[in-house]
Amino acid sequence: MPSVEIILNGLAADHATGSLSLGKAGILYLTGGRVTYAESATAPRVEDLLTAGRGIPAHTVRQARQATTEETPGGELLVRQGALTRGELEFCVLSAVLDAAFFLFGSAGHRPRFRPGERHWLGPQWYFEVTGLLRECRRRETRLEQAWPSAELDTSPVVPLRRITAQRVVLTSLQWEVLVCADSSATPVDLARRLGRPAYSVLLAVRQLASCGLLRVPRPAPESGAEPAPDDPDDLGAPDGRANPAPDDPGTSDGRAEPAPDRPDGRGAARATTVPPATPAGPAPAASAVADPLPRRTRGATEFPDAGTGSPVRTDRFPRATGDPTDVNLLIRLRNALEALT
Amino acid sequence: MLGIEDCLTEVMAIPGALDAILIDQTSGTAVATGGGGRLLDAEKSAAGLSETLRATLDGLAVASPGGTVRINDMIITTDGGYHLLKPMDTVFDGPLVIYVRLDLERSNLALARHRLQALSDRPITT
Repeated sequence: MPSVEIILNGLAADHATGSLSLGKAGILYLTGGRVTYAESATAPRVEDLLTAGRGIPAHTVRQARQATTEETPGGELLVRQGALTRGELEFCVLSAVLDAAFFLFGSAGHRPRFRPGERHWLGPQWYFEVTGLLRECRRRETRLEQAWPSAELDTSPVVPLRRITAQRVVLTSLQWEVLVCADSSATPVDLARRLGRPAYSVLLAVRQLASCGLLRVPRPAPESGAEPAPDDPDDLGAPDGRANPAPDDPGTSDGRAEPAPDRPDGRGAARATTVPPATPAGPAPAASAVADPLPRRTRGATEFPDAGTGSPVRTDRFPRATGDPTDVNLLIRLRNALEALT
Repeated sequence: MLGIEDCLTEVMAIPGALDAILIDQTSGTAVATGGGGRLLDAEKSAAGLSETLRATLDGLAVASPGGTVRINDMIITTDGGYHLLKPMDTVFDGPLVIYVRLDLERSNLALARHRLQALSDRPITT
Protein backbone atom coordinates (compact mmCIF):
# COMPACT_ATOMS: atom_id res chain seq x y z
CA MET A 1 0.00 0.00 0.00
CA PRO A 2 1.59 3.30 -1.01
CA SER A 3 2.04 5.83 1.76
CA VAL A 4 -0.03 8.98 2.06
CA GLU A 5 2.99 11.06 1.12
CA ILE A 6 3.56 9.25 -2.17
CA ILE A 7 -0.12 9.52 -3.14
CA LEU A 8 -0.20 13.20 -2.25
CA ASN A 9 2.93 13.95 -4.23
CA GLY A 10 1.36 12.19 -7.20
CA LEU A 11 -1.87 14.18 -6.87
CA ALA A 12 0.12 17.39 -6.55
CA ALA A 13 1.98 16.60 -9.74
CA ASP A 14 -1.36 16.04 -11.53
CA HIS A 15 -2.83 19.28 -10.15
CA ALA A 16 -5.73 17.19 -8.95
CA THR A 17 -8.89 18.53 -7.34
CA GLY A 18 -10.92 16.31 -5.04
CA SER A 19 -10.87 14.51 -1.73
CA LEU A 20 -8.46 11.86 -0.50
CA SER A 21 -10.19 9.71 2.08
CA LEU A 22 -8.02 7.80 4.53
CA GLY A 23 -10.75 5.63 6.02
CA LYS A 24 -11.41 6.27 9.67
CA ALA A 25 -8.24 8.32 10.09
CA GLY A 26 -9.56 11.32 8.21
CA ILE A 27 -9.72 13.06 4.89
CA LEU A 28 -7.74 15.55 2.80
CA TYR A 29 -9.14 17.95 0.20
CA LEU A 30 -7.06 19.18 -2.70
CA THR A 31 -7.67 22.07 -5.06
CA GLY A 32 -5.45 22.24 -8.14
CA GLY A 33 -2.83 19.98 -6.57
CA ARG A 34 -2.62 21.94 -3.36
CA VAL A 35 -4.08 20.90 -0.03
CA THR A 36 -6.92 23.18 0.99
CA TYR A 37 -8.44 21.25 3.83
CA ALA A 38 -7.68 18.30 6.08
CA GLU A 39 -9.63 16.60 8.79
CA SER A 40 -8.37 14.01 11.25
CA ALA A 41 -10.28 11.90 13.71
CA THR A 42 -7.74 12.93 16.36
CA ALA A 43 -7.61 16.69 15.91
CA PRO A 44 -10.52 19.11 16.42
CA ARG A 45 -12.19 20.06 13.15
CA VAL A 46 -12.62 23.61 11.90
CA GLU A 47 -16.21 23.48 13.12
CA ASP A 48 -14.98 22.59 16.60
CA LEU A 49 -12.46 25.42 16.58
CA LEU A 50 -15.10 27.88 15.40
CA THR A 51 -17.66 26.92 18.01
CA ALA A 52 -15.44 26.08 21.00
CA GLY A 53 -12.64 28.56 20.43
CA ARG A 54 -14.37 31.43 18.69
CA GLY A 55 -17.75 31.06 20.33
CA ILE A 56 -19.72 31.04 17.09
CA PRO A 57 -23.09 29.33 17.68
CA ALA A 58 -23.15 25.81 16.29
CA HIS A 59 -26.35 26.45 14.35
CA THR A 60 -24.78 29.39 12.51
CA VAL A 61 -22.09 27.05 11.26
CA ARG A 62 -24.67 24.41 10.38
CA GLN A 63 -26.80 26.88 8.47
CA ALA A 64 -23.82 28.11 6.51
CA ARG A 65 -22.94 24.53 5.72
CA GLN A 66 -26.42 23.76 4.44
CA ALA A 67 -26.67 26.99 2.44
CA THR A 68 -23.41 26.23 0.66
CA THR A 69 -23.69 26.24 -3.11
CA GLU A 70 -21.27 25.72 -5.97
CA GLU A 71 -20.63 29.46 -6.38
CA THR A 72 -20.62 30.53 -2.75
CA PRO A 73 -18.77 28.18 -0.43
CA GLY A 74 -19.68 28.10 3.25
CA GLY A 75 -16.63 30.04 4.32
CA GLU A 76 -17.67 32.95 2.13
CA LEU A 77 -21.15 32.88 3.71
CA LEU A 78 -19.76 32.94 7.26
CA VAL A 79 -17.58 35.95 6.45
CA ARG A 80 -20.46 37.74 4.72
CA GLN A 81 -22.75 37.13 7.68
CA GLY A 82 -20.14 38.77 9.87
CA ALA A 83 -19.69 35.69 12.02
CA LEU A 84 -15.95 36.17 11.71
CA THR A 85 -13.45 38.09 9.62
CA ARG A 86 -11.64 36.69 6.62
CA GLY A 87 -8.36 36.71 8.51
CA GLU A 88 -9.87 34.75 11.37
CA LEU A 89 -11.30 32.16 9.03
CA GLU A 90 -8.04 31.81 7.12
CA PHE A 91 -6.05 31.41 10.28
CA CYS A 92 -8.56 28.98 11.71
CA VAL A 93 -8.43 26.79 8.59
CA LEU A 94 -4.66 27.07 8.53
CA SER A 95 -4.24 25.82 12.08
CA ALA A 96 -6.82 23.10 11.60
CA VAL A 97 -5.18 21.80 8.41
CA LEU A 98 -1.66 21.80 9.86
CA ASP A 99 -2.99 20.08 12.94
CA ALA A 100 -4.94 17.41 11.09
CA ALA A 101 -2.13 16.78 8.60
CA PHE A 102 0.24 16.08 11.46
CA PHE A 103 -1.93 13.21 12.66
CA LEU A 104 -2.94 12.00 9.18
CA PHE A 105 0.62 11.50 7.97
CA GLY A 106 1.44 9.53 11.08
CA SER A 107 -1.59 7.23 10.74
CA ALA A 108 -1.48 3.82 9.11
CA GLY A 109 -3.67 0.86 8.21
CA HIS A 110 -6.19 2.74 6.10
CA ARG A 111 -7.15 2.39 2.47
CA PRO A 112 -6.62 5.71 0.70
CA ARG A 113 -9.28 6.55 -1.86
CA PHE A 114 -9.39 9.58 -4.11
CA ARG A 115 -12.69 11.07 -5.25
CA PRO A 116 -12.09 13.59 -8.02
CA GLY A 117 -14.05 16.84 -7.95
CA GLU A 118 -15.23 16.63 -4.36
CA ARG A 119 -14.90 19.82 -2.35
CA HIS A 120 -15.14 20.76 1.29
CA TRP A 121 -18.12 22.95 2.17
CA LEU A 122 -15.95 25.79 3.52
CA GLY A 123 -14.31 26.24 0.16
CA PRO A 124 -10.58 26.87 -0.25
CA GLN A 125 -9.35 29.39 2.33
CA TRP A 126 -5.66 28.66 2.37
CA TYR A 127 -3.45 26.70 -0.04
CA PHE A 128 -0.67 24.40 1.14
CA GLU A 129 1.98 23.02 -1.19
CA VAL A 130 2.24 19.29 -0.48
CA THR A 131 6.02 19.39 0.01
CA GLY A 132 5.76 22.33 2.39
CA LEU A 133 3.05 20.60 4.38
CA LEU A 134 5.11 17.42 4.70
CA ARG A 135 8.16 19.40 5.75
CA GLU A 136 6.19 21.28 8.38
CA CYS A 137 4.83 18.03 9.79
CA ARG A 138 8.32 16.62 10.10
CA ARG A 139 9.47 19.78 11.86
CA ARG A 140 6.60 19.50 14.30
CA GLU A 141 7.51 15.88 14.95
CA THR A 142 11.09 16.81 15.92
CA ARG A 143 9.83 19.65 18.06
CA LEU A 144 7.70 17.21 20.01
CA GLU A 145 10.65 14.87 20.38
CA GLN A 146 12.80 17.66 21.73
CA ALA A 147 10.25 18.68 24.34
CA TRP A 148 9.91 15.19 25.82
CA PRO A 149 11.08 12.14 23.94
CA SER A 150 8.36 9.69 24.98
CA ALA A 151 5.05 9.36 23.16
CA GLU A 152 3.52 7.69 26.21
CA LEU A 153 1.87 10.87 27.48
CA ASP A 154 0.09 11.50 24.18
CA THR A 155 -2.58 8.90 24.84
CA SER A 156 -2.78 8.67 28.62
CA PRO A 157 -4.78 10.98 30.93
CA VAL A 158 -3.11 14.21 31.95
CA VAL A 159 -2.57 14.16 35.71
CA PRO A 160 -0.99 17.28 37.23
CA LEU A 161 1.03 16.67 40.38
CA ARG A 162 -0.56 17.95 43.54
CA ARG A 163 2.73 19.05 45.00
CA ILE A 164 5.90 19.90 43.14
CA THR A 165 9.43 20.44 44.36
CA ALA A 166 10.03 23.54 42.26
CA GLN A 167 9.57 26.81 44.11
CA ARG A 168 8.55 28.77 41.06
CA VAL A 169 7.05 27.73 37.78
CA VAL A 170 6.72 29.69 34.54
CA LEU A 171 3.84 28.61 32.31
CA THR A 172 2.60 29.67 28.91
CA SER A 173 -1.06 30.54 28.64
CA LEU A 174 -1.83 27.30 26.85
CA GLN A 175 -0.05 25.26 29.52
CA TRP A 176 -2.19 27.04 32.07
CA GLU A 177 -5.36 26.14 30.19
CA VAL A 178 -4.25 22.53 30.03
CA LEU A 179 -3.58 22.37 33.76
CA VAL A 180 -6.85 24.04 34.67
CA CYS A 181 -8.83 21.74 32.42
CA ALA A 182 -7.01 18.52 33.34
CA ASP A 183 -9.25 16.31 35.47
CA SER A 184 -7.00 13.24 35.68
CA SER A 185 -9.13 11.38 33.15
CA ALA A 186 -8.94 13.50 29.99
CA THR A 187 -6.21 12.70 27.49
CA PRO A 188 -4.45 15.51 25.60
CA VAL A 189 -6.77 14.95 22.62
CA ASP A 190 -9.86 15.24 24.85
CA LEU A 191 -8.45 18.44 26.32
CA ALA A 192 -7.81 19.87 22.87
CA ARG A 193 -11.42 19.32 21.91
CA ARG A 194 -12.69 20.79 25.17
CA LEU A 195 -10.47 23.85 24.91
CA GLY A 196 -11.01 24.33 21.19
CA ARG A 197 -7.26 24.30 20.64
CA PRO A 198 -5.33 22.37 18.02
CA ALA A 199 -4.39 18.91 19.27
CA TYR A 200 -0.74 19.35 18.35
CA SER A 201 -0.39 22.47 20.49
CA VAL A 202 -1.94 20.69 23.45
CA LEU A 203 0.29 17.67 22.88
CA LEU A 204 3.33 19.93 22.87
CA ALA A 205 2.16 21.76 25.99
CA VAL A 206 1.62 18.46 27.80
CA ARG A 207 5.08 17.21 26.90
CA GLN A 208 6.61 20.50 28.00
CA LEU A 209 4.75 20.30 31.30
CA ALA A 210 6.05 16.77 31.76
CA SER A 211 9.61 17.83 31.10
CA CYS A 212 9.20 20.54 33.75
CA GLY A 213 8.12 17.83 36.18
CA LEU A 214 4.57 19.09 36.66
CA LEU A 215 2.71 16.00 35.47
CA ARG A 216 2.59 12.49 36.72
CA VAL A 217 4.38 10.26 34.28
CA PRO A 218 2.32 7.03 34.12
CA ARG A 219 5.20 4.67 34.80
CA PRO A 220 8.77 4.46 33.62
CA ALA A 221 8.88 3.67 29.92
CA PRO A 222 9.49 -0.06 29.38
CA GLU A 223 12.84 0.35 27.66
CA SER A 224 14.23 2.90 30.09
CA GLY A 225 12.80 1.05 33.09
CA ALA A 226 14.46 -2.18 32.05
CA GLU A 227 17.72 -0.59 31.10
CA PRO A 228 19.48 0.03 34.43
CA ALA A 229 19.26 -3.58 35.55
CA PRO A 230 21.27 -5.29 32.83
CA ASP A 231 23.45 -2.22 32.50
CA ASP A 232 25.06 -2.29 35.88
CA PRO A 233 24.57 -5.15 38.30
CA ASP A 234 26.14 -3.17 41.18
CA ASP A 235 23.31 -0.71 40.95
CA LEU A 236 20.58 -3.31 41.23
CA GLY A 237 19.72 -2.77 44.87
CA ALA A 238 18.38 0.67 44.30
CA PRO A 239 16.15 0.31 41.24
CA ASP A 240 14.59 -2.98 42.22
CA GLY A 241 13.23 -1.74 45.49
CA ARG A 242 11.96 1.44 43.96
CA ALA A 243 10.52 0.59 40.62
CA ASN A 244 7.49 -1.10 42.14
CA PRO A 245 5.93 1.39 44.55
CA ALA A 246 5.49 3.91 41.77
CA PRO A 247 2.35 2.48 40.10
CA ASP A 248 0.68 1.15 43.26
CA ASP A 249 0.86 4.28 45.29
CA PRO A 250 -0.41 7.41 43.60
CA GLY A 251 -0.21 9.35 46.86
CA THR A 252 3.54 9.14 47.14
CA SER A 253 4.12 9.93 43.51
CA ASP A 254 3.01 13.47 44.09
CA GLY A 255 6.49 14.75 44.79
CA ARG A 256 8.80 14.56 41.84
CA ALA A 257 12.38 15.33 41.12
CA GLU A 258 13.38 18.89 40.38
CA PRO A 259 12.07 20.45 37.20
CA ALA A 260 14.10 21.36 34.18
CA PRO A 261 15.65 24.63 35.38
CA ASP A 262 17.23 23.00 38.42
CA ARG A 263 18.43 19.97 36.58
CA PRO A 264 21.89 21.09 35.53
CA ASP A 265 22.90 22.01 39.08
CA GLY A 266 21.58 18.84 40.63
CA ARG A 267 23.17 16.61 38.08
CA GLY A 268 26.45 18.46 38.16
CA ALA A 269 26.70 18.10 41.92
CA ALA A 270 25.79 14.45 41.83
CA ARG A 271 28.35 13.75 39.18
CA ALA A 272 31.17 15.29 41.22
CA THR A 273 30.62 12.85 44.04
CA THR A 274 30.26 9.79 41.90
CA VAL A 275 33.07 10.06 39.41
CA PRO A 276 35.70 8.11 41.41
CA PRO A 277 34.00 4.70 41.38
CA ALA A 278 32.91 5.18 37.82
CA THR A 279 36.41 5.12 36.47
CA PRO A 280 37.47 1.61 37.53
CA ALA A 281 34.16 0.00 36.63
CA GLY A 282 34.60 0.88 32.98
CA PRO A 283 32.02 2.22 30.56
CA ALA A 284 28.93 0.57 32.04
CA PRO A 285 28.06 3.03 34.85
CA ALA A 286 28.90 5.97 32.66
CA ALA A 287 26.50 4.68 30.04
CA SER A 288 23.73 4.16 32.56
CA ALA A 289 24.23 7.63 33.94
CA VAL A 290 23.70 9.04 30.50
CA ALA A 291 20.98 6.67 29.43
CA ASP A 292 18.54 6.79 32.31
CA PRO A 293 18.30 10.24 33.80
CA LEU A 294 14.52 10.16 33.38
CA PRO A 295 13.60 6.93 35.16
CA ARG A 296 15.97 7.88 37.94
CA ARG A 297 14.24 11.13 38.58
CA THR A 298 10.89 9.43 38.67
CA ARG A 299 12.01 6.81 41.11
CA GLY A 300 13.63 9.35 43.36
CA ALA A 301 10.39 11.25 43.30
CA THR A 302 8.21 8.35 44.31
CA GLU A 303 10.49 7.80 47.24
CA PHE A 304 10.67 11.40 48.14
CA PRO A 305 7.87 11.57 50.74
CA ASP A 306 8.97 8.35 52.47
CA ALA A 307 12.59 9.28 52.68
CA GLY A 308 11.86 12.69 54.09
CA THR A 309 14.83 14.39 52.47
CA GLY A 310 16.28 14.09 49.05
CA SER A 311 19.91 13.62 49.97
CA PRO A 312 20.02 10.03 51.29
CA VAL A 313 18.05 8.89 48.30
CA ARG A 314 20.41 10.53 45.95
CA THR A 315 23.62 9.08 47.40
CA ASP A 316 22.61 5.43 47.35
CA ARG A 317 21.23 5.68 43.86
CA PHE A 318 24.78 6.05 42.56
CA PRO A 319 27.64 3.56 42.88
CA ARG A 320 29.42 3.69 46.24
CA ALA A 321 32.51 5.87 46.55
CA THR A 322 35.66 3.82 47.01
CA GLY A 323 38.39 6.36 47.61
CA ASP A 324 40.93 4.19 45.77
CA PRO A 325 44.18 6.24 45.57
CA THR A 326 44.71 5.41 41.90
CA ASP A 327 41.29 6.83 41.08
CA VAL A 328 41.99 9.91 43.10
CA ASN A 329 45.27 10.38 41.29
CA LEU A 330 43.61 9.97 37.94
CA LEU A 331 40.97 12.51 38.90
CA ILE A 332 43.54 15.02 40.03
CA ARG A 333 45.40 14.62 36.74
CA LEU A 334 42.16 15.02 34.84
CA ARG A 335 41.29 18.13 36.75
CA ASN A 336 44.73 19.64 36.16
CA ALA A 337 44.48 18.89 32.48
CA LEU A 338 41.06 20.50 32.26
CA GLU A 339 42.25 23.54 34.14
CA ALA A 340 45.22 23.85 31.83
CA LEU A 341 42.83 23.83 28.89
CA THR A 342 40.78 26.80 30.04
CA MET B 1 -11.84 43.10 6.21
CA LEU B 2 -8.30 41.83 6.31
CA GLY B 3 -6.98 38.44 5.38
CA ILE B 4 -3.61 37.03 6.33
CA GLU B 5 -1.96 38.13 3.08
CA ASP B 6 -3.43 41.63 3.32
CA CYS B 7 -2.12 41.88 6.83
CA LEU B 8 1.37 41.07 5.58
CA THR B 9 1.05 43.53 2.72
CA GLU B 10 0.27 46.25 5.23
CA VAL B 11 3.26 45.29 7.33
CA MET B 12 5.51 45.52 4.27
CA ALA B 13 4.04 48.97 3.56
CA ILE B 14 5.61 50.30 6.77
CA PRO B 15 8.41 52.68 5.69
CA GLY B 16 11.77 50.93 5.83
CA ALA B 17 10.35 47.39 6.09
CA LEU B 18 12.76 44.82 4.63
CA ASP B 19 11.12 41.48 5.37
CA ALA B 20 8.19 40.31 7.40
CA ILE B 21 7.06 36.94 8.67
CA LEU B 22 3.82 35.97 10.30
CA ILE B 23 4.54 33.34 12.92
CA ASP B 24 2.31 31.01 14.86
CA GLN B 25 3.92 31.29 18.27
CA THR B 26 2.75 27.99 19.76
CA SER B 27 4.07 25.77 17.01
CA GLY B 28 6.75 28.08 15.60
CA THR B 29 5.23 27.80 12.13
CA ALA B 30 5.82 30.43 9.47
CA VAL B 31 2.27 31.25 8.43
CA ALA B 32 3.18 33.69 5.68
CA THR B 33 6.15 35.73 4.55
CA GLY B 34 6.52 39.08 2.88
CA GLY B 35 9.32 40.79 1.02
CA GLY B 36 11.06 37.46 0.32
CA GLY B 37 13.48 37.40 -2.58
CA ARG B 38 16.34 37.70 -0.15
CA LEU B 39 18.00 34.60 1.15
CA LEU B 40 15.62 34.12 4.03
CA ASP B 41 14.69 30.70 5.32
CA ALA B 42 11.25 31.53 6.63
CA GLU B 43 10.74 28.25 8.45
CA LYS B 44 14.02 28.38 10.33
CA SER B 45 13.54 32.07 11.08
CA ALA B 46 10.05 31.49 12.39
CA ALA B 47 11.20 28.68 14.67
CA GLY B 48 14.09 30.76 15.96
CA LEU B 49 12.05 33.91 16.45
CA SER B 50 9.27 32.17 18.31
CA GLU B 51 11.93 30.68 20.55
CA THR B 52 13.35 34.18 21.09
CA LEU B 53 9.99 35.47 22.17
CA ARG B 54 9.38 32.48 24.39
CA ALA B 55 12.73 32.86 26.13
CA THR B 56 12.10 36.57 26.65
CA LEU B 57 8.66 35.86 28.09
CA ASP B 58 10.10 33.26 30.46
CA GLY B 59 12.88 35.57 31.56
CA LEU B 60 10.58 38.52 32.09
CA ALA B 61 8.01 36.41 33.93
CA VAL B 62 10.65 35.35 36.43
CA ALA B 63 11.90 38.91 36.80
CA SER B 64 8.51 40.59 37.21
CA PRO B 65 6.96 40.90 40.65
CA GLY B 66 3.70 39.15 39.86
CA GLY B 67 5.32 36.35 37.90
CA THR B 68 3.08 36.98 34.92
CA VAL B 69 3.93 38.97 31.86
CA ARG B 70 2.34 40.14 28.63
CA ILE B 71 4.53 41.50 25.89
CA ASN B 72 3.04 44.22 23.75
CA ASP B 73 5.93 44.39 21.37
CA MET B 74 9.60 43.61 21.39
CA ILE B 75 12.26 45.72 19.73
CA ILE B 76 15.74 44.44 19.02
CA THR B 77 18.32 46.78 17.56
CA THR B 78 21.21 45.29 15.64
CA ASP B 79 23.97 46.76 13.48
CA GLY B 80 21.85 46.20 10.40
CA GLY B 81 18.49 47.44 11.56
CA TYR B 82 15.54 47.07 13.85
CA HIS B 83 13.70 43.84 14.46
CA LEU B 84 10.18 44.13 15.74
CA LEU B 85 8.14 41.30 17.19
CA LYS B 86 4.50 42.00 17.79
CA PRO B 87 2.30 39.28 19.33
CA MET B 88 -1.36 39.45 18.39
CA ASP B 89 -4.00 37.60 20.31
CA THR B 90 -6.09 35.18 18.35
CA VAL B 91 -8.91 33.07 19.56
CA PHE B 92 -7.80 29.83 18.03
CA ASP B 93 -4.21 29.06 18.66
CA GLY B 94 -2.64 32.28 19.68
CA PRO B 95 -0.70 34.28 19.71
CA LEU B 96 0.19 35.03 16.15
CA VAL B 97 3.38 37.06 15.93
CA ILE B 98 4.26 39.66 13.33
CA TYR B 99 7.99 39.88 12.78
CA VAL B 100 9.33 42.74 10.70
CA ARG B 101 12.90 43.76 9.96
CA LEU B 102 13.40 47.47 9.39
CA ASP B 103 16.18 49.38 7.71
CA LEU B 104 18.22 51.31 10.30
CA GLU B 105 18.46 54.49 8.20
CA ARG B 106 15.17 54.63 6.38
CA SER B 107 12.75 53.59 9.09
CA ASN B 108 10.93 55.35 11.86
CA LEU B 109 10.60 53.10 14.86
CA ALA B 110 7.72 55.02 16.42
CA LEU B 111 5.74 54.99 13.21
CA ALA B 112 6.38 51.29 12.72
CA ARG B 113 5.18 50.48 16.23
CA HIS B 114 2.11 52.61 15.72
CA ARG B 115 1.25 50.85 12.46
CA LEU B 116 1.71 47.42 14.00
CA GLN B 117 -0.50 48.37 16.90
CA ALA B 118 -3.22 49.58 14.58
CA LEU B 119 -2.91 46.42 12.54
CA SER B 120 -3.07 44.09 15.52
CA ASP B 121 -6.33 45.67 16.60
CA ARG B 122 -7.97 44.74 13.36
CA PRO B 123 -7.61 41.61 11.33
CA ILE B 124 -7.27 38.23 12.93
CA THR B 125 -7.83 39.37 16.44
CA THR B 126 -11.20 39.87 17.95
